[in-house]
Amino acid sequence: MRGENRGSVPPCGQVPPDRSGSTSGAGFASPHGQASPIAEHNATGETIHISGLSFTYPGAASPVLHGLDWTVPAGAFALVVGGTGSGKSTLLSLLKPEIAPAGVRTGDARVLGEPLGSLAPAASASGIGYVFQNPDNQLVCESVWHEMAFGLENLGVPQGEMRRLVAETSYFFGMEDWFRSRTDTLSGGRKQLLALASVLVMQPRLLLLDEPTAQLDPIAERTFLHALFRVNRELGCTVVVATHRPQAMVPYATCAFELKEGRIGPVADISALEERPALFEGDNVARGGGRQDAASACGAADVGASSVSGTVGAGIPSAPAASRPPAAVNPQRSEQASPFQAFANTRRRAQPAVRLARAWFRYGRDADWVLRNLDLTVAPGRIHALVGGNGSGKSTLLSLMAGARTLSKGSLSCAASARALLPQDPRAVFAEETVADELMEWARMAGCGQRSADAMADRMGLADLMALHPYDLSGGQQQLLALAKLTLTRPGLLLLDEPSKGLDLAARRTVARLLRELADAGTDIVLATHDLDFVSQVVDDVSMVFDGEIACTSPREEFFAGNVYYRP
Amino acid sequence: MNAPDRITAFATAHPAVPAAYLTVTLGLTMFSVQPVLIALSLAGALVYGSCLRGLASVLAALRWQLPLIALIALVNPLFSAAGLTEVFRIGPRAIYLESIWYGCAMGGLLVTSALWFQAAAELLPFDRVMALAGNAAPVVALMVSMVMRLIPRFMRQGRSILTVQGVVSRGRGSLVASTRSRLRASSVLMGWAMEDSLETADAMRARGWGVARRRTTYARHRFTGADALRLLALLAAAAAMVGLAWLASSQYRFFPTMSALVPWWGYVPYALWMLVPTALHVYERGRFA
Repeated sequence: MRGENRGSVPPCGQVPPDRSGSTSGAGFASPHGQASPIAEHNATGETIHISGLSFTYPGAASPVLHGLDWTVPAGAFALVVGGTGSGKSTLLSLLKPEIAPAGVRTGDARVLGEPLGSLAPAASASGIGYVFQNPDNQLVCESVWHEMAFGLENLGVPQGEMRRLVAETSYFFGMEDWFRSRTDTLSGGRKQLLALASVLVMQPRLLLLDEPTAQLDPIAERTFLHALFRVNRELGCTVVVATHRPQAMVPYATCAFELKEGRIGPVADISALEERPALFEGDNVARGGGRQDAASACGAADVGASSVSGTVGAGIPSAPAASRPPAAVNPQRSEQASPFQAFANTRRRAQPAVRLARAWFRYGRDADWVLRNLDLTVAPGRIHALVGGNGSGKSTLLSLMAGARTLSKGSLSCAASARALLPQDPRAVFAEETVADELMEWARMAGCGQRSADAMADRMGLADLMALHPYDLSGGQQQLLALAKLTLTRPGLLLLDEPSKGLDLAARRTVARLLRELADAGTDIVLATHDLDFVSQVVDDVSMVFDGEIACTSPREEFFAGNVYYRP
Repeated sequence: MNAPDRITAFATAHPAVPAAYLTVTLGLTMFSVQPVLIALSLAGALVYGSCLRGLASVLAALRWQLPLIALIALVNPLFSAAGLTEVFRIGPRAIYLESIWYGCAMGGLLVTSALWFQAAAELLPFDRVMALAGNAAPVVALMVSMVMRLIPRFMRQGRSILTVQGVVSRGRGSLVASTRSRLRASSVLMGWAMEDSLETADAMRARGWGVARRRTTYARHRFTGADALRLLALLAAAAAMVGLAWLASSQYRFFPTMSALVPWWGYVPYALWMLVPTALHVYERGRFA
């Protein structure tokens, strides 16, 4: 069964005999650079060939994909870029018959040389690998070894061959140390690596990946991409990655395509994708220099007062803050004013927003200390970022500040009593049937009316989606909705865990602008993030958490000026 | 399953071997209501327990086990007034020595069974049970594995939901009423889990779920000739034990008066059977010493 789909091209995962010796070693000599026989052979064929492909979802007025002509050569590492909702996921899943969405498809599409849908189920399952965005959802089994075997078990591969394939693939990815672990105990990066390995064990010739690194921190992202790179170059497997943040992938890619308004075209200059676009456009582009003096000069207090918008909710101060007369703003009006405006007194205070002194914390009697004698002061009305590796205690710090946990020893004081915590997964926030209801669930009780909610939806780009179920939104839109919902509770202290995770450029800009305005209006914001690009453009102060303590706290510019390794 | 296999009895054998031993032992313990046999089984379980978890933890567990035996011994005569040797009377009810003694035996039996179940958890960890079941019913084995994966995940997600709504309601009075808050959390979790399961189903289909008519298994335990020998030896011994237990139980009566207990050669093999895990444990540990 497994032989028939191999054709003339050796499948991935099958290491030629002359290299099998190094497979079992830890080093695994990398043969790229010298032309590998597989790559040479593959270069002659086309893995994906599409002409005139259109696709329309049932009930939709216009097609998502519009007469696509697209060819991916065998052995390529292809990027498909495009914003949220451009149809990247649709395109990818159409190429994998098992998960192809329902709808009307016209045009011609060939994958692995066969017309779509004519591949035998077993050949399709093993020949076309698919890696999803969420590492948690695509793992099926409880233990790593079972997860690795899952696909082969499904195909009914005999035990002997299965064990060989699993062993070989595990060595390739260096999984020996955690092969017997439970999947639930793995870090996000390892989970995604396992998802890749458990697909690769089936020896696919084409790997489709839909935003595979959107949920990963930068270090895990690099590890994952490096593994993917080796799969591509050493095993000759064709790789197609759909992403809206291609920066980290560009060095590995051999070609890139952009999907825009239902059409696909090649990206002429791949290296241009590596640029980090500014998050504050137009009049705010100079933010890097311009805002910084204002913020550091007056502790944001006056700036905050001056930019508060008097109009209800709709107040999106697009004009420079300085042009607004401060006198026109009456703090007392905050009751019916914009949700960005926190409680009036938060703007006049000099005491810190959050202060931790000699803080110790651990999760259980036998657990290790997560925080050890930690001191941290968060200045009021500023955006404060906590950066640091996985498990360094960033999320713990957030839940302590939120009041969801209490310190084992030491003291913690927060200026604001009304707080809100945005969790890593926005779905923890959703309880209603529509976006509109979702926005209003907590808003009314916090003094925000329908108009504020509508204005908020408008500025977050959710206005056209009000009737949808929150789960029908894309991941980025869900993140925006969750943030909007929490902002409408008008927290004095807003705590955000990875707010920029999985967002495309437009959404990143929206979040950046919202946070800036909230902070200017006097809301204290603390965010934990791995996204150093976001940190370098949006926040005011940065603290690096390391070994249960704060290694340093400094204004953003100073932080990045002093860092040698830790930079975007 | 996270930790490597513990070095103990049957660690290197096919899981069928400890499964057979435990089934026979539990059967013997539960069906032979004879004081000496119960005592021997209890002793075997206690000794093996102290090998595994240390004497201190076994003694600590006795703190609830002994009172439990005493309680059953005292309560039993109140419900079943049988026997001839009257000890005392509570009002109109006579309390007979035989009833107390029978209660003691039943309490001992209960505690012994519990101890053997505890040993079973060590001898047959989850993945070994799976390997045992996996060959016969691969789909059931997979289902159990999936459920085991979901439990910690639901716990984590539930905590996250409760934290978020707890933080929002704090400092604002009862934004979400506490009775409603749990209800809300469970409905959120339900929606979340359903949504996740759609993607999991896609991931399963993408990896060929349902393609082959019969799934195969990546069984990590091979049944070797040595395992067959061990199993045969175990089953032969088990047959002898069942005979001995039947003989001993049929010769013993609690009611109307208790039969006299006499020394009997048959107790020796029975005691040896109960000490098999201990002996193997000592042997496995000692091999590297």
